[in-house]
Amino acid sequence: MKVKLRYSHEAASKPVLAEIILKTGLLINIIEAKLTPKEGEMVIDIATQGQALKRALEYLRAAGLEVTELRSLVEVDRERCISCGACISPCPSRAIRFDESLDIEIDERRCIGCGICISACPRKAIQLI
Amino acid sequence: MTAEEFIEFVEQSGLEKAAKEVDVVTTGTFGAMCSSGAFLNFGHSEPPIKMVRCWLNDVPVYKGLAAVDAYLGATSMSETKPFEYGGGHVIEDLVSGKEVELRAESYGTDCYPRRSLETTIILDDLNQAYLYNPRNAYQRYNAATNTSDHILYTYMGTLLPRYGNVTFSGSGQLSPLYKDLNLETIGFGTRIFLGGGVGYVVGEGTQHKPQSGFATLAVKGDLRGMSAEYLKGAVFHNYGTTLYVGVGIPIPIINMRVAATAALKDEDIPVDILDYSVPSRDRPIIKKSNYAELKSGKVVIGDKEVPSSPLSSIKVARKIAETLKRWIEAGEFFIQRPIELLPNYREFKPLKIKKREVTVGDIMMPLKDLVLAKPEDDIKKVAKMIIEKNIDHVPIVSEEGVLIGIVTTWDLTRALAEDKKTLKEIMTRYVITAKESERVDEVAKRMAEHHISGLPVVDDVMRVKGLITSDDISRKLVGRRGV
Repeated sequence: MKVKLRYSHEAASKPVLAEIILKTGLLINIIEAKLTPKEGEMVIDIATQGQALKRALEYLRAAGLEVTELRSLVEVDRERCISCGACISPCPSRAIRFDESLDIEIDERRCIGCGICISACPRKAIQLI
Repeated sequence: MTAEEFIEFVEQSGLEKAAKEVDVVTTGTFGAMCSSGAFLNFGHSEPPIKMVRCWLNDVPVYKGLAAVDAYLGATSMSETKPFEYGGGHVIEDLVSGKEVELRAESYGTDCYPRRSLETTIILDDLNQAYLYNPRNAYQRYNAATNTSDHILYTYMGTLLPRYGNVTFSGSGQLSPLYKDLNLETIGFGTRIFLGGGVGYVVGEGTQHKPQSGFATLAVKGDLRGMSAEYLKGAVFHNYGTTLYVGVGIPIPIINMRVAATAALKDEDIPVDILDYSVPSRDRPIIKKSNYAELKSGKVVIGDKEVPSSPLSSIKVARKIAETLKRWIEAGEFFIQRPIELLPNYREFKPLKIKKREVTVGDIMMPLKDLVLAKPEDDIKKVAKMIIEKNIDHVPIVSEEGVLIGIVTTWDLTRALAEDKKTLKEIMTRYVITAKESERVDEVAKRMAEHHISGLPVVDDVMRVKGLITSDDISRKLVGRRGV
């Protein structure tokens, strides 16, 4: 499950992620991290589901972080897409493929939100959510 | 039936029976075709204008024609939104019925007094608007990969470093020109599916090279009657704009030879995978592949499985072949015998640069003026030489004069600060170099990419011949053309 975290500048000085990893033993992959003088924003992928995921999210919220669950990182505008496939092979996490009717399908569990498909799309049909 | 249905039919019933029973095979392709555009006639304003410069939605339109005739090219880019919107998008917008801004300028003549105009037009306002594409529907096309260590943005799409992916173009077993491989049925006057409407082949396309499977077509058709579903403006990141064009051609099965090529499958159509990191017109072939392997989604290069994906839409190509089949079955589309067939051989000439271009050898600092050093040399001795000769780069060479490293004045400053004694301790061993025969602009680009200001010039066995610096390039070339 991919999660977007927003936190105040004070929270940034605490090793929240390290603590949660040590306490729960969960695998966490940091996909994106930005820190400005005002606040921080991070997209992480927590490799678990069910109760363990729920506990992890509760822990993050208790630490003062604003948590948004992300269903997918990019979306395809079906009106603009021409099913060419130019986005498929540049995807480093192999998250994009043709479905049976040759429409573009993005596997949200694999997507790491790198955005290379956005620039690779000749129709500008892919956007970050 | 469509080319793919024909392939299946031949597999089940054999070529002879298929050739006897099938009259026409329909084909299709839907890919980026940069040599596309439209001739437009705007009609005369009151008072009239001889348009000298002209824009549609800020995209420059070619005006080297009569007063209100113009040619809108697919790769012409918007002056306000370059790499985002271009001629291909204007064509798509016109065919969708959208309003497009027209702007024109002139110097004014006695017969055409107006000097400027601004208005909006829609497709129906124009007297004539026809697609005229000098090169469409390549029989087959090379695939692309990238062996360098940085991302390439090309007309073949985004290519990841170190064989990260392969992209390919063309519809393979649906490709109009490949299905009549020997060009026995397609020629001047052939009626075709073009952009969702009806069009005609008006001759061989530019760079037509049928002897190696790279035949091309020039096509023409009325934009009115076409559909934006089959004419889509597109952008290749950092490359520019283009137009996806839908082309479908009916192939009458007139003899066994045509039947045999119409039945060719993806695995029968060879495709070379080229290395697009080599910026040359002769790119090295990395692998000989075919459309079946490329369409499978992965290609084996060496011992690596590399993801592959198309740039042209196989889905839309299929739809074009289906649509054309329906038109023919319904009696709405008639097959036209060509007035003249296309040539089946054409020399493919390169452009020779006849004016001598400035090379590295012309402006480099020659060997006799250089300061060279040996790895064991004392840092202080080298520092003294640098001051005497007023230079910034010292190539480090072996006894035989072969390059093994480089130090710059910056490296020496640091060495003195850190109390190092010999050059060996501080020299850079991975040296970016240049050759005497290289063009200066290539070398300038290399310096910029690596954020360095000087390159040793070496021969084929890495012996130092000279040194070229960004200073040499800017000082010695000011005011000279061709760089």
